[in-house]
This record gives sequence, C-alpha cells and structure tokens, in this order.
Amino acid sequence: MIRWLPRRLGWIRVPSFFLFITLGGSAAWSPLALADEEDDLQRQIEAQKASVADLARLDTQKAGAEDIVRLRSWLDEAWGLRAKHEYDSVREVLDRCMAQAELIRQTITATNLKTQVAQKEAQLKQVRDQIAQAKKDIESTKIQISSLERVTP
Amino acid sequence: MKTRSWLSLAGGLCLATGCATAPKPPELIAYETLRHDPAVPEAMKRAPDLVSASEKLGNKATDEWSSNDLDESRRDALQAQIRLKTALALLEQERAKNRLQAIGAEQAKASDELGQLTQELSALKVQADLRQKLADARKSADDEKSRLSTQMAADQQKLQQASELMAVQEKLSSARLALSTADTVDAKKYAAPDYGAAEDLIRKAEQEMKAGSLAGASASLEVAKDHAQKAMAIAKPLYEQTAQTAENRLRDDALVREAQSLSGVDVRIDSQGPLRRLIIGASNLFPKGQATKPIEGKLVVLDPVAALINKYPTYPIQVIGHTDNRGRVAELVALSQTRAQAVFEALVARGVDAKRLMVSGQGPNEPLVSNRTAADRAKNNRVEIVFLYH
Repeated sequence: MIRWLPRRLGWIRVPSFFLFITLGGSAAWSPLALADEEDDLQRQIEAQKASVADLARLDTQKAGAEDIVRLRSWLDEAWGLRAKHEYDSVREVLDRCMAQAELIRQTITATNLKTQVAQKEAQLKQVRDQIAQAKKDIESTKIQISSLERVTP
Repeated sequence: MKTRSWLSLAGGLCLATGCATAPKPPELIAYETLRHDPAVPEAMKRAPDLVSASEKLGNKATDEWSSNDLDESRRDALQAQIRLKTALALLEQERAKNRLQAIGAEQAKASDELGQLTQELSALKVQADLRQKLADARKSADDEKSRLSTQMAADQQKLQQASELMAVQEKLSSARLALSTADTVDAKKYAAPDYGAAEDLIRKAEQEMKAGSLAGASASLEVAKDHAQKAMAIAKPLYEQTAQTAENRLRDDALVREAQSLSGVDVRIDSQGPLRRLIIGASNLFPKGQATKPIEGKLVVLDPVAALINKYPTYPIQVIGHTDNRGRVAELVALSQTRAQAVFEALVARGVDAKRLMVSGQGPNEPLVSNRTAADRAKNNRVEIVFLYH
C-alpha cells in the first residue's frame, strides 16, 4: 500500500500524507454525500406520502383513520427533520412510518375481511332464515294437504 | 457544622431528584395495556417475529424509561405498539379468513339444505295446489249440484204448481162445460138451486185461483161440477118434457089444422082431463039398418084420413063405431064393433099400420045428438077415427 507513495517522502511524512488525503477527500466528498442522502430521504418521504394517499383511498370503512392521521403527522415530522438535516432522526421516523403504513395496510385488510365475514354471516343467516321459513312452509303445507285430503279423500 | 448539614441535605435532595424515575410515557403505557390483550398469545403463534420484535422494543423502551431516556423510550414504545398492533391485525385477518372458510362450508351446506327444502316445498305446493284445485272443483261441483237441485226442486214445484193449475183449469173447464151443458137443458130454470150453487162455486174457485189456493179451487170446482151435473140431471127430463110437449103441441096443432081441412068428415076435439082427442067422424059410410058392409064409394073419404094417419105416425089411433038407439044395446054394440072393424080394414088397405089402430064399438052409448029424428039418428050412426094425444 505504501509502495506507490513517493520515495522521496520520508517515513515521517506518511501520516501527514494520509491525513492530507483524508482531509482532502472528506472536504471534497462530504457535501456531495449529504446532498444524495437528503434527496434519498426526500424521495422516501414523498413515496410514503403517496402511499398514505393510497391507503386513505383504500380505507373505505375508515378503520385506520386515526393511524393515517398519525402517519401523516409523522411524515410531516420527518419532512421537518429533513429540512433540519437531522437525517438519523428522519430515518428513524421513516422506519416508524413504514411500520405504521404496514399496520394500516393490515388493519384495512383485516377490516375488509371482517366486513366480508359479516356479509357472509348475514348471507348465511339469510339462508338459515330461508331454511327455517321453508321448514315452516313445509309444515304448514303438509297440514294444508292433510286437511285437503280429509275434504277430498 | 450547621452549614455543612444543610449542604448535605441539599446535596441529598439533588441526588434524589436526579436519580428519581420520570413518569412513564403514555406510549409505553399504551403498549403495556395492549400487551395484556388476550389475543396476544395467539398473535404470537401467528406472527412470532412481529411479537418478538415488539417485546424487544417494549423491553427496550421500559429500560430507556428506567434510565430516564424518555424520547428513546417513547419512540421504541411506539414501534413496539405498531408491531404488536400489526401482529394483532394479522391475527384478525387469519381469524376472519378461517371464519370465511367455515362460513363458506356452512353456506354450501345450508344452500344444499335450502335447495332440498325448496324442492320438497315446491313438490308439496304442487300437491297442495292440486288438492286445492280438486277441493275447489269438488266444492264447485257440490255448489252446482246444490244449485241444480234447488233449481230442479223449484222447477218441480213450478211444474207441480203448473200441473195443479192445469188440473184446476181442467176442472174449471169441466165445471163450465157441465154448466154449459146444463144450460142446454135450461137448468137455470128447472134446477135453479143446483145451477146457482154451481155458478157460485165456479166464481169462488176463480177467486181462489187468483189467490193461489189451488186446492180450495179444485175442491170448489169438483163440487161445482157435481152441482152442474145434478142440475143437468134434474133439468134434462123437465126440459125434454117441455120441449117434447111444445113439439107435440105444434104437431097436434098441425094435425088439427090438417084434419080440419079434410072434406066429408066431421072433425072435433074432445078433452078428457089431460088426454085430448082429435075425433074425425065419418057418418053415412054404411046403409041404414043393420048393414055391416060399407056403401060403395063412400070409403073414399078414408083416403085422406089414412094419409093423415101415416103422416103423423106417432099418434095412437082408435077406430070406434057408434049407432043410434034403435035396437038392443048388445046388438048395437056388436054392430058398431063390426062397422069399426070394416073401417079398420079399409084403413089398413090404405097403408095404415094395423098395430097403431085399436078397434072398439060403443053402440048407442055416446050419441052425438038425440035420436029423435032420422037425421039425428043418421048422425049418431058413425065411425070415429080418434087421434089420442096430451
């Protein structure tokens, strides 16, 4: 690693060289790296916001309404933190937002399934009511037939 | 010394305040409450990773709270809540899916049962409908039968009434006929009580017929007919007798007129009680004395007499001989008898039926005039042809 260094530099100058390289690289790369991270976080936040809109549209029964409000407030918080360049906090909030979005998604799915269950239960009840009614009708028809048989043997 | 104590106390308080645990963050409280949800153990089976992560985060949050790192504790408690809620939501989904499957099976079973019951009900309804139609048809037939029976009874009643009315009308006609028949013999005159009774009863019967009392009318008409027939029976002989009498009288009158138109004979009428006699007397038929043979040529006077007798064939005829009083009576009677017999024979010779003629001799017993003179005696010597009638 050190072989390609200039021979004229003495061993004393090697740390200075690395220090120079490090400081120079940092000075050159740091603004670029920060700019990429900010853009990335912004894209994530915007993607989350778009997904929140989709979730709100899917939540026809308003089962996750409170969670969506909370999610939006957190995304706003993340947006604010991003503006303050508190990227670690933004990431932490975005993680929570992703988990919250997943929670909302599962809640909506569960609610929809429960709604389907309720509908199916209602349909089943309707069929059972029809069965009960049909049994009653059969009994009454049998009685009617019996009485008619007495009249018309 | 005093100052050192106060400093120690202040230092202790500061230490106690600095080391005291801060109030538990609401996020952590909410997580712990959620952690005690009875569904959590089942959620652990469904989503063990989520629940484990939640527990770890929860424990971490508790530790952070214990170390007064409240912001971290709040954030981790939130994450723990989110994961546990997600696990619970997944559990709910699984339960819902299971319930949906169960419902699907139950629905299929119930649908099958409903289908069978519907088929059974449909068959029973068809049967019931057929029975009902049969019952309706039978009821309709019974009603029709009853209606026809009632109508037939009404028709029969009408027919019976018509028949009764016809019978009564026949009786009325019969009674009127009987009364009309009685009229032909003038029963109103000759059998007034029965005739009047018949008339009254016929009027009464007509009123009863109008009032609908056919039985009464029938009875009245029967009695009326009896009365009319009785009146007929009573009046007929009287009427016939009267008619016969009138006819006889006319015939008698004609006989008398024709007899009176005869020439050569004496015609007179004699009444003896109800019996009347048209007497045609012929004198000078026999010679004077005891002669029994008629004088030739004198018998021509008998020709129109014989014609008259034949023209009126219903009258009984007497041929009576008479004499004057000269001689013995017995001899004179015999003589008159002989002379009457001679006239009888002359009449028979002229076509008169002998059976109608009765011959007798009266001798001198019935002289027309006294026998003082010869002319009178000649008048008494005669033969009379007598028509008898009432």
